[in-house]
Amino acid sequence: MKTKLNIITLALLSSCSFGLFAQGYGLSNAKTDNVKFDAWQCKGCAVETGTTGYVDAGIAYNSEDDIKSANAFNSSNQVAGKVDADIRYKGKEGYQANVEAHNLGMDNGRLDIDVGKQSVYNINVNYRSFAHYQSNSALSPYQNIGSDYLTLPDNWVTAGSSPDMPMLYRSLNPVELSLTRDRAGLGFEYQTESLFTTYVNFQREEKTGTKTTSGSFYNQSMMLAEPVDYTTDILNAGIKLRGDNWFTSVNYTGSVFKNDNNQLGFDSAFNPTFGAQTTGYIALDPDNEAHTVSLLGQYNMAMTNLSGRLLIGQMTQDQTLTTIGYGYPLPANSIDAKVDITGATLKAVTRLNRAWRVNGSYDYNDRDNKTQIEQWTQISINDVTGEAAYNTPYDLTTHRAKLSSDYRITHGIKLDGGYDFKREERSYQDRETTDEDTLWVKVNVNSFDMWNMWLKGSVSQRDGSQYQATETASSEQNALLRRYYLADRDRSQLEARFSHTPLTDLTVDFGARYALDDYSETDIGLTKSTDTYYDINLHYMVNADLSLNAFYNHQIIESEQSGSSSFSVANWQADIEDTIDYVGAGMSYSNLMDSRLKLGLDYAYSDSDSTTQVRQGVTGDYGDYFAKVHNINLYGQYQATDNMSIRVDYKMEKYLDNDDANDLNPDTIWNVVSFGNVDHDYTAHMIMLSMRYSL
Amino acid sequence: MKTTNQINTLLFTLLCLTASALFLSNQVHAAKWDATMTPAEVEATLDKKFAEGKYSPKGADSCLMCHKKSEKVMDLFKGVHGAIDSSKSPMAGLQCEACHGPLGTHNRGGKEPMITFGPDSTLAPDKQNSVCMSCHNDDKRMTWESSHHANADVACASCHSVHAAHDPVLSKQTEMDVCTSCHTKQKADMNKRTSHPMKWNQMTCSDCHNAHGSLSDADLVQPTVNETCYSCHAEKRGPKLWEHAPVTENCVNCHNPHGSVNDAMLKTRAPQLCQQCHSGDGHTSSAYLGNTDMGSTVNGNAFTGGRSCLNCHSQVHGSNHPSGKLLQR
Repeated sequence: MKTKLNIITLALLSSCSFGLFAQGYGLSNAKTDNVKFDAWQCKGCAVETGTTGYVDAGIAYNSEDDIKSANAFNSSNQVAGKVDADIRYKGKEGYQANVEAHNLGMDNGRLDIDVGKQSVYNINVNYRSFAHYQSNSALSPYQNIGSDYLTLPDNWVTAGSSPDMPMLYRSLNPVELSLTRDRAGLGFEYQTESLFTTYVNFQREEKTGTKTTSGSFYNQSMMLAEPVDYTTDILNAGIKLRGDNWFTSVNYTGSVFKNDNNQLGFDSAFNPTFGAQTTGYIALDPDNEAHTVSLLGQYNMAMTNLSGRLLIGQMTQDQTLTTIGYGYPLPANSIDAKVDITGATLKAVTRLNRAWRVNGSYDYNDRDNKTQIEQWTQISINDVTGEAAYNTPYDLTTHRAKLSSDYRITHGIKLDGGYDFKREERSYQDRETTDEDTLWVKVNVNSFDMWNMWLKGSVSQRDGSQYQATETASSEQNALLRRYYLADRDRSQLEARFSHTPLTDLTVDFGARYALDDYSETDIGLTKSTDTYYDINLHYMVNADLSLNAFYNHQIIESEQSGSSSFSVANWQADIEDTIDYVGAGMSYSNLMDSRLKLGLDYAYSDSDSTTQVRQGVTGDYGDYFAKVHNINLYGQYQATDNMSIRVDYKMEKYLDNDDANDLNPDTIWNVVSFGNVDHDYTAHMIMLSMRYSL
Repeated sequence: MKTTNQINTLLFTLLCLTASALFLSNQVHAAKWDATMTPAEVEATLDKKFAEGKYSPKGADSCLMCHKKSEKVMDLFKGVHGAIDSSKSPMAGLQCEACHGPLGTHNRGGKEPMITFGPDSTLAPDKQNSVCMSCHNDDKRMTWESSHHANADVACASCHSVHAAHDPVLSKQTEMDVCTSCHTKQKADMNKRTSHPMKWNQMTCSDCHNAHGSLSDADLVQPTVNETCYSCHAEKRGPKLWEHAPVTENCVNCHNPHGSVNDAMLKTRAPQLCQQCHSGDGHTSSAYLGNTDMGSTVNGNAFTGGRSCLNCHSQVHGSNHPSGKLLQR
């Protein structure tokens, strides 16, 4: 290979010595005066041109009717096909093309095609699909599901309560609650030999399906299937410039969101109440746009690295307001909403010496909502009939400052510590300013042959300006209420991790974490929360072919809150306990049957559980609220010929969840027409047979 | 109960294994020179070699005289770092020695240290990384030095493999395995009742976080938490006529994006979550007891049953209806 005089060589030959890497082995510091590049022929560099890779085609059978299983199995169809591919073409002079596909044809698949010349240009075409399945057993009397107006059958007879609706059970039909996204993108990047790179990427995503919402009249409510038909276009473009010790870029991101449905109309299933309304309309998420321009920069000095970002952006929304069934004059046909975003960030790292490093940063972010404040009359769906209300466009300004330092005491012992400050300034809220101060310290110890460990502790305190619970937005709230995201809070955390390698091929990791949030000044609201977590993981390479692993994770989050039903001092308490146990094991066995067979088996079980107790003289609970999931993934791959392999995958998901609050018939709650019980209880199996052809 | 016993048994077994392992000793050496040199001596030698710049007479060909039998070594040429037609590849410059440092006298028996990479290398990670960062200085890695991973002494090669046709961590199918091998709590999170679809690799850590650091909190790829969420949930962006203050301020006020034992990744279920901020002179301040001996049931009324508060206030993410102040329209 003839050596080129290129930027790397130039960097090597440069007499400049830059960088934070002065103490490292950065190329710009390499002493290459005596290198005779003409003799560096690289005859042994075995780069082959041509096409390599594989194509894989598979077919899967899914035994299960409950559509939720399709989340794990990638398809809601009983029989599904897929194509995987990784095809790489290398031409001469750096021309190349790659095609990568995974699960293409299934509900969650992706495809990436790249064509270009190495280090010069690249054209990318991509496609991705996603699907999320919630339920296919929800029941609804509504017709025209998926449209923007849900009607009840012609012969529907309203009633004052759901059990008295004579047509309810005769009108129920299953509704699928699922969302799919289809994304397609096109990108182009061009680099010059030296400083300059430019790029432009465009992506369009179509999101369709139905999700749960509710329509209500005063105290009556119906669960509804909200249509989702969104289109989001995203454009990214920018220019990057770099030198030996600096980098800068100017970037633009634009995002345009369109919702094909402006509002969702629905018939009332109940007898009319306030305002005698028989149909209702809820506004759906409006079309909107967001545009951001950012300037990034980095500069490396001998011992110091500086990086920063300036950004300005604007989010706008000018959707024509829904007026069907409203009946009052509007101050404007659309709110012409505008939020200006301004951001500035600076980070600095400096090495005082080989062992001691200091980090500092400051971050400013401002959300300035410039939407006009207007008077809006509230309509007769509840007891605020005819009331005038003013919108409250929220502003938020955040300042974050951090200072930290790490000092390597010995090769294997490092001490870290830091101070973080965060100030948030808000409008129209109970507290205009909150300040949070955090101190943390961490010790890393890697000085033992078989042990690595670290211990981290932190304390933080949040307070701020006077809490004005009776002002503006909270005029109707209890004066003792302290909203948890604004309240004074003392937080302490302690975390430790150990990694032990008793044998070359055996690693045992274990760690634990405890966090306490104490809302010391709160009488009503969230008063305390603790989070206890630990895990243990084992990985054992029995030999070059066989590896085993096992793990167990446990977490318990306990929360306490108080309320007052008498609008004075606290007179009820709630205790919530969330628990997760996650345990599993796996093995991988390669090179069986004369190196032709590979086997793998993974098993995992997760148990999510939550209990809620509320006490006010008597104690009540919220019953079962759990999800228990077993997953097995077993596969065998057999290399039949040099080019052909066969793989069989077996997947099993045993899924059981429950929520006593939703253990319902459609008319269990007198003033709600619900979807009924949407719990899941299934054991689903999937078998996939695939064949891979290697090029 | 049975499951709990099974878990306890497994835990006990793991602990026994750990305890027994304490009594076993088998010192790990990453490279030939680590048997006779301390890490400090290795580093001093490498510093000296780098300063002297005694590169090989024939570049890669000198190295391959001994190392060409290694499949892993030769796999370099399947990836971009082994490309010979790219002006930005190491092979267009100092070749093997661009990364592994000057040969010096290493070719005389292989006892003199070379720069080695990965978690088993005794060379300090920042020294290893200085090699990588001297080329990979761009918008995705410009804050590496102040990133969480750099501070935690993670070597580039702990996650990345350059002697390979494919770097596993760059594949969406294997990325989660790499990240969760250290971030075990997040692995448990994504297996809770609800989470983003990371369990099946449909979403991956890098969709939201930049492992090389960023100028944002938690090394997010977007400037703020909400802008990270809006990049996939643009419908939540608004700005809407009636904003819900904590929603506008920060999505993670109510949600845990890594997963939750509650539906919709909520930190707490309704009505308790709502009652942590709403205690008015009316229905928001009542104690909703759920199932009691007095005859009430959790699924028997609209305050706790079904969608709880959301039965009526379904527009919790804000409303653009003229009459949407109470987030019902």
